[in-house]
Amino acid sequence: MNILQVFLDYASALVLPAILVGFPLYGMIRKVRVYEVFVEGAKEGFNVAVMIIPYVIAILFAIGMFRASGAMDFLTDLLRPVVGLIGIPAEVIPMGIVRPLTGSGSVGIILDMINQFGEDSIFVKMAATMFGSTETTFYVIAVYFGAVNIRKTRHAVPAGLIADTFAMLAAVYVVLLLFG
Amino acid sequence: MLNYIWGGLIVLSLVFALTSDVNDFARDTYRNDAPLPVTVTFEDEYSPTARRQRLRIEISDSDLIAHYGDSSMTGGTWEGILLQTSAGREIRFAEGVSLPEPLATICNETGQGDCRGALQGTPTGPEWRSAVTFAPVRWVKMNAIAAAALSFAETAVTLALGLIGGLGLWMGLLKIAEASGMLHALVRVTQPLIRPLFPQVPKDHPALGMIVLNLSANMLGMGNAATPLGIKAMQELQTLNKTEDTATDPMVMLLTMNTASVQIMPPVTLVAIMGLQINQLFFSILITTGLSLVVGITAVKLLGRLKRYREVSP
Repeated sequence: MNILQVFLDYASALVLPAILVGFPLYGMIRKVRVYEVFVEGAKEGFNVAVMIIPYVIAILFAIGMFRASGAMDFLTDLLRPVVGLIGIPAEVIPMGIVRPLTGSGSVGIILDMINQFGEDSIFVKMAATMFGSTETTFYVIAVYFGAVNIRKTRHAVPAGLIADTFAMLAAVYVVLLLFG
Repeated sequence: MLNYIWGGLIVLSLVFALTSDVNDFARDTYRNDAPLPVTVTFEDEYSPTARRQRLRIEISDSDLIAHYGDSSMTGGTWEGILLQTSAGREIRFAEGVSLPEPLATICNETGQGDCRGALQGTPTGPEWRSAVTFAPVRWVKMNAIAAAALSFAETAVTLALGLIGGLGLWMGLLKIAEASGMLHALVRVTQPLIRPLFPQVPKDHPALGMIVLNLSANMLGMGNAATPLGIKAMQELQTLNKTEDTATDPMVMLLTMNTASVQIMPPVTLVAIMGLQINQLFFSILITTGLSLVVGITAVKLLGRLKRYREVSP
């Protein structure tokens, strides 16, 4: 472990308790009626969760159908020759397609790949780097925009997908550079 | 664009499912109604009157290959039972046996946890050469997409409701931070860094503080905290929005910074899967996520200048 990692490890372990205690404590020092204010804010949690339900249903059910239809295999075959040209191994294509769509799906793909290629394989490293450096774009859109009832997303989807596509390609090259 | 992608996903799943099912139909992948030769060996003496009897079911390589026309298949022997009723004899594979494709699919589609098929003829001895006919299998993928749609809709509700606790906790804490002036202090300290990315947000606006908290939580891999903080940031940005349903430039920026994910610490799920190996990947993830963040921010800025997106800007 390097020093940066150790520092981050401590930071992420201590930040949460510090906030949980620090916010109310500072509030008390500043004479805020902490309990009353907390409850008032927390009330919103339920409303927000309920508000995002339609958005998350819309996104997840479409993605679920898409996955179940076997379209993923077809897309993998379709992309194989194309991405081969720029040096992307076909083994990591499923991860690239699934990652922006579903979190549980991409976990499943990594586990499959570990079984198939072994933990130390370069393909697993690529897939894990893809997983670690991107998010489930469509779910994030549903939750964040759903919470404020935004339906017209403008350039959020193309920008997110551009960043995702770039991350998928970069993950392959970076892993090749570091481990290849 | 989301409209097209969403509609596209649904239409494409129908197209793929239909293609796959028609293909199965044309090739008769599951050999519906055709008997598959099997050899049944009784564990105990065969009794013509007993209702249930334990047995072993053997399917030879050559029978399987001839039946399904796939030369890569290998047979095997599986445990099961014979069920005799006035309607005929039926074998059931023991629950949880692993069968080769397409048998596994046939069993999944037709059985209720166990795999069953009708046997031809009457037992001739302890080792009986017979043939089994499974219930016909049709529309595998069509059934699958319908089932997936329902189960994912349920998952969506579970996921959303699962957020209530975390959302409530963070919204409460943030309210205290706001009332105590803490958030204001955070905004003043960090806005020189963060405001260039969100120029439309007025100086000293609380949204900037929420954005900083959301991005920091992301960086530290605190996924559970990042979502409520991001939602709170969106709500603050929404107060600056002149429309009700259209995303503003700062909203798109915040969203892209979240989807491009600014994590320095690898996400908890990945750590759980990879174990100690995650240490090797620390730098590859850091470099990739950093680069993709820069690309994401650039994409938002450039796409925002396009006429089609500028025209609808609130």
